[in-house]
Amino acid sequence: MLTRLAALATPLVLFALAPSAAFGAEEFKPQNEFKLDPWIELPGPFDINKAVFYLFVATALTIGTFFYIANRMQARPNRMQTAVETAYVAMRDNIAGGNMDKRMAAKWFPFIAALFLFIWFSNMIGYLPLPTNTEHKVDVFGLEIPSFALYAATANLSVPLVLTLVVWVAYHIEGFRAKGVIGFFKGLVPAGVEGPAKAPIFVIELISDFVRVVSLSVRLFANILAGHLLILFMGGGLVVLLNLGFAGSLILGFVTAPLAVAFFLFEVGLVATLQAFIFSTLTAIYLGGAVAEDH
Amino acid sequence: MAAVVTNAATFVLGFVEGGGGEEESSTFLVSPDVGLMLWTLLSFFVALYVLRKYAFPKITEALDKRQHAIEDSIDTANRTKAEADELLAEYRERLKEARVQAEEIVTRARAAGASTERESVEAARVKREELMAQARKDIEAETRRAIGEIRNEVADLTVAATEKVTRKTLTAEDQKRLVDEALGELDFTALSGERR
Repeated sequence: MLTRLAALATPLVLFALAPSAAFGAEEFKPQNEFKLDPWIELPGPFDINKAVFYLFVATALTIGTFFYIANRMQARPNRMQTAVETAYVAMRDNIAGGNMDKRMAAKWFPFIAALFLFIWFSNMIGYLPLPTNTEHKVDVFGLEIPSFALYAATANLSVPLVLTLVVWVAYHIEGFRAKGVIGFFKGLVPAGVEGPAKAPIFVIELISDFVRVVSLSVRLFANILAGHLLILFMGGGLVVLLNLGFAGSLILGFVTAPLAVAFFLFEVGLVATLQAFIFSTLTAIYLGGAVAEDH
Repeated sequence: MAAVVTNAATFVLGFVEGGGGEEESSTFLVSPDVGLMLWTLLSFFVALYVLRKYAFPKITEALDKRQHAIEDSIDTANRTKAEADELLAEYRERLKEARVQAEEIVTRARAAGASTERESVEAARVKREELMAQARKDIEAETRRAIGEIRNEVADLTVAATEKVTRKTLTAEDQKRLVDEALGELDFTALSGERR
């Protein structure tokens, strides 16, 4: 318990040690919390930066947790195994099984589950304060270490966008396979639409098919980004930004700090899981819909 | 207050428009970063590969195994219960039969006892009567013999007494006549009356 408290208090201690880093020697730009400076320069576009680091952590946690549990499956599960099993069954029976036929669910379950877990871990580690803010270094006894910050790979559009593109391509391939290219596009028009209404409806459905790329990716990205911004602003960002003087900052701080805690709990407790769930469920729905007879 | 609003507005606008003319643009938030996208693809597919190959099959297997085990247990429990019920019913039936049989045996034993008693009483009675009849016969025979002996004795005495009195020897005819006369006067019925 003490170590936990100490770990939680570390950012505060660092904050106290280096107030100049937090209170604007330079102008405070909150968006720079999400800026990606290359940490390790690699050839081509493969520079390692904060977001890539978060992706690696999320991947390691996704693989690590499930690999660990899968190799220690017991007939009488402990709590951790029960939690993993519950998530597994929910992914298999609800997310995949509930939105696709049996054959498709069996085929695409690993993809959808991996998607859910990858996004979920990405979201969740986004609420752990990690020493990743290289813009503001903290001087601890001569050692410059990055200040602790909240960040999430999914708060960067590139990550959800590329996952969405994978999904989009996947369900088009499944649709083309099941119905043929023409059959798939014919199937975009909902059953029951007859006569001249077909043409405009087809155009609208076609647009909506492409808009899915935006809606699926931006939904996740914007939710996570918004959550982080809320926490950032309520947790001190507003106080620094508005610069209301000592008394004003004090009052504003007392108002926003509880809100920061509330938003934090809301994000960790609901949004992180909900967005992962929505992303994977929509993936299952798109995949199921692409091969379904009455699209 | 106006300054605050202006500050905030500037910030929000700057955020949305990407810096609003400042040297630092924030379009990086919404402009796709090819490197990050490639890293995402790589990370995701590595995770997918490992989960699919090493984690999910084992979890599925374990869950299926447990499900089978549970189904088996339930089946076994049901079977055992059915068997137990059957056994119980059978035992009850047998118990009932045993009770009926026991009652039957007791009834039969009682009847047998009663009849044996009756028979033995009857046999005893028959035996007693036989014995009594035999005894009666013996007594009668003995009495008859005794009477015969007495008769002869009386005859002899009569003859001897008569010879002493008459000083003459009697002939056989005299003797017979005398004895018959004497015996005719004697009442032997009194003897048989005593015997009874």
